[in-house]
Amino acid sequence: MPDNWGYVFAAYGLAVIALGAYWRRLARRAKSLAGPGGSE
Amino acid sequence: MSAYLRRAWIVVWKDVLTERRSKESLNALLFFSVLLLFIFQFALGPERARVETALPGLLWLGFILAGVLGLGRSFLVEQENDCWEGLVLTPGDKSAIYLGKLAGNVLVMAVVEAALLVLFPVFFGLDLTGALPRLVVVLALGTLGLAAVGTLFGAITAQVRARELLFPVLLLPAQVPVLLGAVSATEIVLAGQPLAEAAQWLKLLAAADVVYLVVGLLTFEFVLEGA
Amino acid sequence: MTRALGWLAALALVIGLGAAFGYAPREAVQGNVQRIMYLHVPAVLTAYLAFALVFAGSLGYLFTRRLGWDRLAVAAAEPGVLFTGLTIVSGSIWGKPTWGTWWTWDARLTSTAVLFLVYVGYLLLRGMVDEPDRRARYAAVVGILGAANIPIVHFSVKWWRALHQPSTILGPEPSPIAAPIALTLLVNWIAFTLLFLYFLARRAEIARLEESHAG
Repeated sequence: MPDNWGYVFAAYGLAVIALGAYWRRLARRAKSLAGPGGSE
Repeated sequence: MSAYLRRAWIVVWKDVLTERRSKESLNALLFFSVLLLFIFQFALGPERARVETALPGLLWLGFILAGVLGLGRSFLVEQENDCWEGLVLTPGDKSAIYLGKLAGNVLVMAVVEAALLVLFPVFFGLDLTGALPRLVVVLALGTLGLAAVGTLFGAITAQVRARELLFPVLLLPAQVPVLLGAVSATEIVLAGQPLAEAAQWLKLLAAADVVYLVVGLLTFEFVLEGA
Repeated sequence: MTRALGWLAALALVIGLGAAFGYAPREAVQGNVQRIMYLHVPAVLTAYLAFALVFAGSLGYLFTRRLGWDRLAVAAAEPGVLFTGLTIVSGSIWGKPTWGTWWTWDARLTSTAVLFLVYVGYLLLRGMVDEPDRRARYAAVVGILGAANIPIVHFSVKWWRALHQPSTILGPEPSPIAAPIALTLLVNWIAFTLLFLYFLARRAEIARLEESHAG
């Protein structure tokens, strides 16, 4: 069977993008909530 | 126990009376079922063989679509008639109300299903009479599962935004097992085979019914709380 | 605390990635495309953990009426849906070169997709109710029914597949699993679990802040 690296990188690339996007969303929401007078 | 059942019965009786006086939902629902037959016919074309192979799926598609509309309304009616408070303030075990509403919904579904079972053979030139007694068993098990979840989710979505959209979005994925089991069992029954051939599916449907009923009975009081 | 967990998860993910591409051997039958399994299998295991926590949070809320349980439920549901989505997408990408098609109604793929739809519905419902107390009650009921439904969905889909297409398609894992492959899976599973716990902690904290802002 051929190696199909393209598929492997596509899968991992998409995972990195999705997880990164969720992480950034969480960070933004936390920041906007902690914004005025936030402690962190 | 008898008081509990009587309370459930009062809810059924109330809904039947309201429905008989206003004929609000049932007429429209029956009309909708006829419309579905036309749509199926137009979608599949005039070939009879096609309809026959797709029949188990079409039947359940009809039941489920009618169920989405009918079950979604069952608690909406209370909201529209300002009866929600009354239900909430009813003393005693709230699950009796769930049981009553469920019974009423099964009744409505049974009427719609009976209508579809009469209309399908007429419009598509089929003969279902031989399979009918066995088909009723499958229908009863499938309908109970559909109505058990539909009644619970209907009570939830009656009180939230975008309810018409949210109800099917919640109900349909939860009903995948019922749909798969009911369609497969119907297929076996309509092929003229005995019920024992569909035993696996009937057991699955029965198990699903029990699980949904238990969850419904136990959690309903949390749905019908406050406003 | 949360920050340390985040760094730990990042470290574990780097190690896992290194193992998936550097340490694990090229699988003999499937070739390198099998490396997608190191993403796919940990993602689905993490998703199941997440939905188990949604179930626990839902039960906990209905029994105790403490919003903390509801925060656990929502904080687990969101990443749970995300990981389920990753499972489906990575399975689909793996399926294209292996089965020659992006999507087949394979038992596992189908029941994962159903799970995905159930919990997307759960999150949609949460978005439609504003009062925290009411939202928590409704979501808990849906969360409990969704969890009770998982085994029923699993068996119905499995039997349905067996009926319509006798097993011509092999499952995702090659069997028996070689030791380096098992170890790589384990490392990635731990990494994904840590990442999930990090997401869980942050999402729960956001829910707590939202509640304190609202009331």
